[in-house]
Amino acid sequence: MRGLAGKRVAITGGAGGIGAATAARFLEEDARVAVLDRSREALERLRDTHRQIESMEADVADPKSVQGAFGRIDHLWNGLDVLINNAAISVRHPFLEIEIEVWRKVLDVNLTGVFLVAQAAARRMLAGEGGVILNMGSTNGIAGYPFYADYNASKAGVIELTRSMALELAPTIRVNAVCPGFILTPMQGAEYTPKMLRDFEEKVPLRRVGTPEEVAALFAFLASDDARFITGQTLVIDGGELAGGLASR
Amino acid sequence: MNTHPESTHGVRLEGKVALITGGASGIGRATAERFAREGAAVAIVDIAEAPGKALAVAIAEAGGEALFVRCDVTKLAECERAVKETIDRWGRLDILFNNAGVTRRESVLGTTEEEWNWVMAVNVTSVFLMSKAAIPVMLEGGGGAIVNTASGWGLVGGKDAVSYCASKGAVVQLTRAMAVDHGPDGIRVNAICPGDTDTPMLASEAEQLGQTHEQILAESVDRPLRRVGRPEEIADAVLYLACDESSFVTGTTLVVDGGGLAGSG
Repeated sequence: MRGLAGKRVAITGGAGGIGAATAARFLEEDARVAVLDRSREALERLRDTHRQIESMEADVADPKSVQGAFGRIDHLWNGLDVLINNAAISVRHPFLEIEIEVWRKVLDVNLTGVFLVAQAAARRMLAGEGGVILNMGSTNGIAGYPFYADYNASKAGVIELTRSMALELAPTIRVNAVCPGFILTPMQGAEYTPKMLRDFEEKVPLRRVGTPEEVAALFAFLASDDARFITGQTLVIDGGELAGGLASR
Repeated sequence: MNTHPESTHGVRLEGKVALITGGASGIGRATAERFAREGAAVAIVDIAEAPGKALAVAIAEAGGEALFVRCDVTKLAECERAVKETIDRWGRLDILFNNAGVTRRESVLGTTEEEWNWVMAVNVTSVFLMSKAAIPVMLEGGGGAIVNTASGWGLVGGKDAVSYCASKGAVVQLTRAMAVDHGPDGIRVNAICPGDTDTPMLASEAEQLGQTHEQILAESVDRPLRRVGRPEEIADAVLYLACDESSFVTGTTLVVDGGGLAGSG
């Protein structure tokens, strides 16, 4: 992808699933990559396969922790060109059983975390030569989906945050959201039964779930110069699910 | 302006064959050039013969492969012939870019029945007809990617452009419905939605509105990225949708408009 070589890229939740695939993709593009993640074990595993990654143990929902990670980024790179705001959690539970502590935790990580990290990144990009911020939305932030009311609300929030940031930070920083449908990651693998996956695959137009690498490719495109006129948008990558494949059946 | 300082010959469409309607000018032309640089053989389909032939020659001289087919995309027989000429030359078709389009900048009151029918025929019926001709060939090859040119004005209303807005809204829905129908057979269908882009169509709009080219460009500074798009920038996004990098993307609208639709303010 054009314009990615040498870029300073930070990826939150980057030690597993889509985040790790995205880190690997940006390394292939000869970018410099820092991964922020809560899990020290996951960071160590990632470093075992990709020695050149800068790993930073950080909780995106904690302002002090985010500040600490960006202090290290300043020290390492003295700036930032691309932020992939990917960290998120989800819990499958009926609306009536959502406990306030869990609701707050999901909103804290998925929405407040995106805000905190984006604010820290945007300040550095505005002080430098601009940049690109890509937020992880979800098709669940666009269409309804049962048993994930807290997660869905957080992702709808990310999409609107993306648009508002795009307007305020233009023309220096481009801001877009990526909205995946079913992507088979450890997070989803733990939540879905084989039957749920089969049922989905029979209905979605492309007849399969997506891979973390396919989402990573979309992040690479949006961060590259090929997407230099795209901002304030939500890009759906869902095998055709929202086009009508599931809703119309 | 040097838009692409790192521009080199890539390999992202190596071995692929692409057919581009409206390929002789504007976004279609920029896409033909980018696709050819990425290794695709390109059939340039257009009603304008001289610029189409000249582009095919220019691509060949730059080391690419191109063919020009003169075609009125509002007629099924001509679409079928364009697909046949492409197959006769290269034996397959992997990518269809349904891009031919026209605009009339008038309200309902100022649009004649003939103008309405013309805009709908060129912008919508052509997508239906060319897809009808191309999909059987793509299926023989095991699948493919179709990209349709819609518009930001296929998603929101625009002033004095009723036939254009209606036609582009139809392209968005046609895209989604085709994605549902042909996804199981490995054909992905997506729409590109450009905002104002510096093309001959924009020049025609300026003329219809009684504005100069400079006036219509100056109006664009109030959008988030402070300018209109360049055809090459739309082509870059079409490339993403057409190549294997977007293998899980279908039925979507990719808006490339410098933030114009992100909101107000």
